[in-house]
Amino acid sequence: MTGSSVSPVGSVASVVVVGGGIAGVSTVAELRKNGYAGELTLLSADPLPYDRPPLSKEYLAGSRDLDSLALQPAEWYAEQQVTLVGGAVAAALQPDAGEVELADGRVLSADRIVLATGGRAVRPPIGSPIHVLRDVADADSLRTRLVAGARLLIVGGGLIGAEVASTARGLGAEVTLVDPLDPPLAAAVGIEVASWLHGLHGSHGVETLSTTVETVLETSAGVAVQLRGEPDSRVFDTVLVAVGLAPETSLAEAAGLETSRGVLVDADQVTSHPTVLAVGDCARPRGHHRAEHWEAAQHDGARAAATILGLERAAVTAPWWWSDRYGLHVEGVGEMRIADAEHEVVVRGVVGEPPFSVFTLRGERVIGAVAVDDPNAVRAARRMIDRGVAVCGSDLGDPGVSLRKMLRGLG
Amino acid sequence: MTGNSEGIRVASLDDIPEGEGVAISSDITGTDDDIAILRDDDGTCWALNDTCTHETASLAEGWVEDGDVECPLHSSRFNLKTGKVDGLPATRDTVPHRVEVRDGEVYLFPGERP
Repeated sequence: MTGSSVSPVGSVASVVVVGGGIAGVSTVAELRKNGYAGELTLLSADPLPYDRPPLSKEYLAGSRDLDSLALQPAEWYAEQQVTLVGGAVAAALQPDAGEVELADGRVLSADRIVLATGGRAVRPPIGSPIHVLRDVADADSLRTRLVAGARLLIVGGGLIGAEVASTARGLGAEVTLVDPLDPPLAAAVGIEVASWLHGLHGSHGVETLSTTVETVLETSAGVAVQLRGEPDSRVFDTVLVAVGLAPETSLAEAAGLETSRGVLVDADQVTSHPTVLAVGDCARPRGHHRAEHWEAAQHDGARAAATILGLERAAVTAPWWWSDRYGLHVEGVGEMRIADAEHEVVVRGVVGEPPFSVFTLRGERVIGAVAVDDPNAVRAARRMIDRGVAVCGSDLGDPGVSLRKMLRGLG
Repeated sequence: MTGNSEGIRVASLDDIPEGEGVAISSDITGTDDDIAILRDDDGTCWALNDTCTHETASLAEGWVEDGDVECPLHSSRFNLKTGKVDGLPATRDTVPHRVEVRDGEVYLFPGERP
């Protein structure tokens, strides 16, 4: 493993973090929190790093402004002695020299470089005009178009697509949502919850179609969209494509680092070069998928900081995420499976009547859970998973049995 | 905030399971925000402003464990004793208040530091 070749902690006197999302900001925060006293620079494309989850929800709806999205207040960077370089575009990386070159010609050198370059929204080659949603500029551009009566087509019924559908309905737009999967998200939440969640679109006036988009074309009448299996094209005012994220690996690739659907990292977040680390959406742990969730990016940052400081890294915890649609709060942790010979699916409450939660068990161990308006069920489940607590499925499915007591082995 | 040497009796200890909380209305506490009485898993009681400083959510509905309360919405964590942020996405600390348990009853001293 390359991690073993990292030079001793004492020699690290400067760190440059490339990218101002949650992974990059977490990396600098964790370095300082754990006593790193050397030079610390954060390169951010934006003047002040901000939090992305609200971009499809409160920010898009207009109920939160950009100032409220700051991951840390502006003064925090000075307090923490972090040199925040806003508007920074990294153009090249020289791993052996420990250098990052900026597009404006500046060169920064550091003992360790942490790539937190995130990713881009995937733009399939279906024509134009299409919108995507990844940053504030995307959200601003989309928001001006979400007026009452506007015809919006959303391509992709995953978390982002569903959140935008909900927000757009709240703003009075007419929404059509297409996804080839029926229902989408079955792999994330299990088939039963996925079906119910997807059905919420229809009950909130969103037309859902199980198909794909073949072409998008600008016409005088609007944006003409040809859907697979339909004789004629349909006309919309706006098309949003929300079909996933492509990790931003171009700097790493050009620098000769190993990449494959992400910058490949070991369990310590170290890339194929011993002084370059990678965190968040741009990174992929060898042999695993990218997690793509907010908390996972934060944990990556904590691990990278621990590696740089030579500290023991925190145990890997089950991946956790949340999403909001139509006023409902959805959370998930771990893996959801279909019930089979090895897996039991336990419903606590009634699917479709929030609050409820669904757990997947392998033997006596919880491996995943999803909850709607019952976040503490997921908080209990993640601890059951992380601590390997043995549970009984019939207790889990009984809302009268306290999950906290089960967690303490008192169930 | 006017001082109250006795505190306000807000709950019976038995009504707050370990690891959980109850929200006390600002009508009773006289404070701007409701106050969450939070019972740690070691049985001790603490009080913080109820509304998460990140987005509108009640910390009384959160998960209380190991000296922290975790917000039910986005899992921001606050130290039960100091109100300081122990975990993002919240970045602003919240306000702690003093509580006392006497004869199985919980007394709150709004505006007093623990």
